Amino acid sequence: MSVRALWIITHEKGESVAVQFSRRYPTVEHRAKCLAGSRYVTVPEDSTVLQLLFTELGLSDPVKSYMALRDDCLHQQHSPALELHLEGPGGGVLWPMLAISQGSLILACLPLVEAPPEFRPPLASLFSVSQGLTLLAGLQAFLLGSKGKPDSEGLASRLSMMPFILLQVCPLGTPLDTPQPGATSTPAVPTPAGTQKQPAWKTGLYRGRAVVNVALTEMVRSMQYGNQSRQDLWDVYGTVTCKCEVEGVLPNVTVTLTLPPNGSPLLDVQVHPCVSSLDASILTAMSVEDCDSSAFSGPYKFPFSPPLQPFRLCSYTSQVPVPPVLGAYQLKEEDNQLCLTVSLKLHESVKNVFEYCEAHLPFFNRNQIGHVDIKVTSGQLEVSKEKNLLVWVIGQKFPKTREVSLEGAVTFSGQLPGPRDPLCTDLTAYIKLYFRVPDMTLSGSCVDQHLVQVYSSAKPRIVTSRELLSSEYYIWNSTDTAPVSSGHMML
Amino acid sequence: MSTNWPERISAFSRSPSQFLCCTTPETFLTEVLRELRDDRANDQVKVLLLFPLLEHPTLLCPSVSVGEETALELMSVFVQCSPKSLQLRCHLLLALTSVLICSSCVTSRTGASQDFLDVLFQMIQDTNDLQAGAAFRPLRATACDCLRELEACLPGLLSQRLELLSNLRQQENSTLHQAYTGLHALALRNAVYHLTQQKGAGAGDLKAALESSEGFVWVGGEDSEIHSDMALVSPLTLGPMGRVPTLKTGPDSKELRSLISSFLEESYLLTSLSQAALLQKLVEILTMVPAVSPTVFRAQLLRLLGTCEVSLLHATLLMKAAFTDSLFSAEDEAYLLKRLVSLSQHPLLSSPEKLFYMDCILHFPENRPISCGDENLPVLFTPRLAVALVPTLFNDSASMLARFNLLSLVYLEDGVEDKDGQGSRGLNYLYDHLTSLLRVMENQGNREMVVTFFRASFLFLFHFCHVKYYSVDLIQRLCAMYLRQTRLAPHLINLADRTADQTQDRRDVSDWALALLTALQRSVTEACLSQLTLQDLRWHLRILTRIAEEGDVPQRATVSFLLSVITSTSSVLCVSGDWRLGNGMLGVCRRLLLHPSLDSILTPLADLLQYLTCHYGDVDIQDHARLYYTLLTTLSREKLAGVLAQGGPERGRLVKVHSLSAIMTETEELTSGLTVHQTEHPLLRLVKLESNKPGDPEPSDPEPGDKLHIEANSDSKSAPGLGLKERENYRAKLQSPSFVSVVTLQYHLTHTGVCDPRFGKLFSIRLHFDLTDSNYEVVSDISVPCLFRARKPPAVTLRLKPKQPYPTTLRTSAVFTTEDGLSWHSPLADLHVTFPEVFLPLPAPLGWTGVQRNRVFEEIWTEISSVESMGDLDNAATSLFCDQLDNRLVGNLVNNFQRYRIPYCSELDNGGCKVLFFLPPQSHVLLKVLTVEDNVQVHIATDNWKLLPYINSYLEEITENLHRASQ
Repeated sequence: MSVRALWIITHEKGESVAVQFSRRYPTVEHRAKCLAGSRYVTVPEDSTVLQLLFTELGLSDPVKSYMALRDDCLHQQHSPALELHLEGPGGGVLWPMLAISQGSLILACLPLVEAPPEFRPPLASLFSVSQGLTLLAGLQAFLLGSKGKPDSEGLASRLSMMPFILLQVCPLGTPLDTPQPGATSTPAVPTPAGTQKQPAWKTGLYRGRAVVNVALTEMVRSMQYGNQSRQDLWDVYGTVTCKCEVEGVLPNVTVTLTLPPNGSPLLDVQVHPCVSSLDASILTAMSVEDCDSSAFSGPYKFPFSPPLQPFRLCSYTSQVPVPPVLGAYQLKEEDNQLCLTVSLKLHESVKNVFEYCEAHLPFFNRNQIGHVDIKVTSGQLEVSKEKNLLVWVIGQKFPKTREVSLEGAVTFSGQLPGPRDPLCTDLTAYIKLYFRVPDMTLSGSCVDQHLVQVYSSAKPRIVTSRELLSSEYYIWNSTDTAPVSSGHMML
Repeated sequence: MSTNWPERISAFSRSPSQFLCCTTPETFLTEVLRELRDDRANDQVKVLLLFPLLEHPTLLCPSVSVGEETALELMSVFVQCSPKSLQLRCHLLLALTSVLICSSCVTSRTGASQDFLDVLFQMIQDTNDLQAGAAFRPLRATACDCLRELEACLPGLLSQRLELLSNLRQQENSTLHQAYTGLHALALRNAVYHLTQQKGAGAGDLKAALESSEGFVWVGGEDSEIHSDMALVSPLTLGPMGRVPTLKTGPDSKELRSLISSFLEESYLLTSLSQAALLQKLVEILTMVPAVSPTVFRAQLLRLLGTCEVSLLHATLLMKAAFTDSLFSAEDEAYLLKRLVSLSQHPLLSSPEKLFYMDCILHFPENRPISCGDENLPVLFTPRLAVALVPTLFNDSASMLARFNLLSLVYLEDGVEDKDGQGSRGLNYLYDHLTSLLRVMENQGNREMVVTFFRASFLFLFHFCHVKYYSVDLIQRLCAMYLRQTRLAPHLINLADRTADQTQDRRDVSDWALALLTALQRSVTEACLSQLTLQDLRWHLRILTRIAEEGDVPQRATVSFLLSVITSTSSVLCVSGDWRLGNGMLGVCRRLLLHPSLDSILTPLADLLQYLTCHYGDVDIQDHARLYYTLLTTLSREKLAGVLAQGGPERGRLVKVHSLSAIMTETEELTSGLTVHQTEHPLLRLVKLESNKPGDPEPSDPEPGDKLHIEANSDSKSAPGLGLKERENYRAKLQSPSFVSVVTLQYHLTHTGVCDPRFGKLFSIRLHFDLTDSNYEVVSDISVPCLFRARKPPAVTLRLKPKQPYPTTLRTSAVFTTEDGLSWHSPLADLHVTFPEVFLPLPAPLGWTGVQRNRVFEEIWTEISSVESMGDLDNAATSLFCDQLDNRLVGNLVNNFQRYRIPYCSELDNGGCKVLFFLPPQSHVLLKVLTVEDNVQVHIATDNWKLLPYINSYLEEITENLHRASQ
């Protein structure tokens, strides 16, 4: 349950590769040596690890179209653990190398295999793998910061803190915790030990008026084809995020999620480890099997003791009968111009109050947009700066009819070629919707202010909110093939 | 000192081996320790200085003694540094742990490691910060972790301190209780393991262990087997076939049970990572003590099943693997599997997590597994459930391939062919997906998509090759795709190779490879020639080369295609004479020459080769074509095969054997041939040849024409002034720019003791020498044609040009080629050049008589003596060396100087002699050896006083040897 070494690497599309930070744990290596005996494979120096790792990740030598070591079809990377094949007479394989990447940032670690060397145990039986994955994910979140993207300055300053961060979370190779997002190199003076055991995930104590903030966010995804032979798909997933400022070492808070009568049950419920107990009925419903109408549909009670930082209390998925916006998109190529027809209809169950609502119509594998002759029944139409995208700003409200449409033609006469995409060739094209509807959820789930209980002396201030957001909301052109296998329907 | 420590430390971390090339581990360690003791250095720098010790203790402290010394140093730094330097003190504890464990100090039970353990134990006994205060909590946390690591590396070390650890864990109320819990749980687990290894241990022993409060259990002596490496193995990795060590305790062990319960009660207060680690340890303990029912975990199960943390769910899965139906009902099992499926495609999870969950499905711990093998789908994983994981074009490559593999396994069980030979609907979906991938890839898909498509194809063929409906269709699609995208030739060849490799009980797959190649041959040879570009042709040649390796594929079409390409009127190929294309064409021909159906294509192939010989625009290609033509028309089949012998049936994917008939190693294998591999141990060594015998030719005179006119003088007595002329001539020669003095050393190059058959015959050896000081000019590389273990070792002559005539050490390495064509780099042991090896005889001009030499000797001697007495020449010096030697030994002593003796020195009797060492570039050491009674006196005069210590130790060494030999 320990890691032998850890690497933090940056690169730009396989070029200007650099190990920004690495850490070896020689005592774990010592154990690895004892465990593997004569089959022990030593961890090479950083530059070698880097080269082997990039070959395995398919990132090495980006200019070469084929390299046997990198592109062999026998080589199936279908698990999160990579094999590094060392060269030279000693040879040997380093396994399981875990690597996670986000943009230009790659984190990797080599967990210890606590098994006899004669055979390779299945990955799933190695406890150190999930520990390694959690550690990497935690470090990644810390390095990326609040923006979720690596920016060079922030990254450099956070990288410089790594020795101190690791002193706290993984001093000798055994991960103890993941770094707090806003961690600093000088930890605050700890609160004195009291009579009650303080949770290890709560570094200090809050003093002041109790404030509980519960935010419910639902995301809706959709794939609409406007085609009889293809089934439109949509699904909803939601998260409840809390920030609790409550006094006491281990205060009790209960948040209750309710559904309207006849609401379909919440599926795949997952909870934060600070939830102290769970009712079995909350967990039973799952998206991978048919929904039982008589299934438990709330109220969903989550008793917990909150950590100091904001955290995701729970998440769920839900199957709703209709998508919030039903769209149709038709494209035709006529006389060197592209004729577009779009209609969008807002479902009557959805509140017609948007914070924003935009439809993006990107065009790939064509030149830049030249002339645009398009009429919209509502909102405004803009051409992006790069001239490869139409942005239809529908605004805060659909009209009374709850329907908007767009019709017209576009020519592509610019000199410069636009972006390329292997999926969207010919008339294969899509509209992507971006919207946010405050104070509503599609599943109907809601956190009632009065159903948030805080067991403390003073009356707490409780704030709840909810919102619906679009995520990967696609409407495909119905006059050409959409990039889905036609077999989907058969299943 | 103005050392830039941050830069040096980062250079060390980047590549310790490279860093230590410029210094030695000892020097670096000394510097680091000195700086650590320096009060002027700030804490930040000191923390940085600890990293080499923290990360590479074995490099810097290779032995117990060095480790011990270093640890003592670090301990004294720890004691002396300000209590406020928390970061530094924490890192010192970590560095100490690393050094003591890795340099085997702990297993040797050294004083420092005992002291360190005592210090750690003292620190952790300050629960709830009663003495040190809350500010020092990080230090106590680190101490706990150091102890935990010591226990992890020496399982059982704390097995007699369980009661104390238990008390500490219960007393601690700050967040540090987590550290105590980790320590206690590990010590408990190891103590239980220890008991399982003791014969006849039972409930009583377990109870005693839980209440033990004694000292540390050290390795060595009777209890040495305690720290056996098997204790490091987690019983959970053994799988259903492994034998878990168990402890027989009778019906129940109340104490252990209540201890486990108290751990579990507080587990909620730990971070998820520590909580999961605790659960794992507890599960391990209970697998070893079956008397305690795993139902103690039941209260935690719901919380664990609903968790969003991968580590906690993983711990639950391991729990299930360990306890199966004694803890998990059939419903629980079904639930857990469904949970895994839903998590494997959950939009909120990261891709590595989803991949991990999919792997968990493949190795799902079933309560009643039907078979145990590598990858087996659980019985409950039905096609209905699997639908959630169908691959789509929107998946990332790794997820898509994982899903593709998973679904293939599902449909393989489910998918017997139906009436029209199409297979099940699921299979149809997978094939449909594959063709969509193909389409996307063709639409300017990037490299990743291309690779993903071919990997998916391989997976599909591996599972469903027997379903002809799809495998035949795939061949057609691939051929059509190839003509549009010839650049994908290497991928197609790779797919053919890999499928062809599946010969063992997968005949269908290897047959498919043959069918693919045959179809590709048809596509290539039947395509319209007028549209053929040179780029396409290059790829076609690669494909045809691969096809020509298949003995079962007729090659007539290939030959006629090549003929028509080369002879067609529109072809500019012959005129342009592109060497690479010509080479590609010859590559095909070469394979054809070996083809079993050669007889049937003899005439067209001969035509083709003759045409190339006469008309191709590149002479090299013409020559090779002529060679092939001659071979084809004159040799029998057997001889032809012998001449063109290839590296076995591996189709050249492995290393090629040297063959004169191959022009260049084709394709990617070139890389492995071009890579310089590194040997693990030195393979070669240089053995000094016996130094030149007396009478050997003296160092050559670079200017044979530089003859001096010598006055004949038979007088052996050299009066002052008489030798002036010689001296002037001699000086003039030394000053002349053409005078080059080189020290020549001869060695035998031989193998070291490492006996590896691969290295029996070495070719093109190039020895490279690196200087370790600035006293010599750069040494040029030496080439040795070959070295065979069975033959006499070749002699190597090393020419050194000193700038200063001091002994030196050369770092030596060799690059060579082995029989299989690979290049290797191997270090050699350092080459030490000793002081006497730098000696040369007097570089007198050619034709000088002994008398003249004697005169020069006297002149120089006088000059040095006088200059020294006047004291105005900086470097001149005289000295005297005395020893007690009898006459016989004096003779032996003088024999050492034979080569450097000045003849005709009758004034020195009793075996005495004059000796002159010339030390290039310009120094002289003159000796007069005299015997006075039983003493030998060696009078020394030199024009470079810095040589005196060397001379002295040289004389000491040889006289010592003489004494030793005479005893």
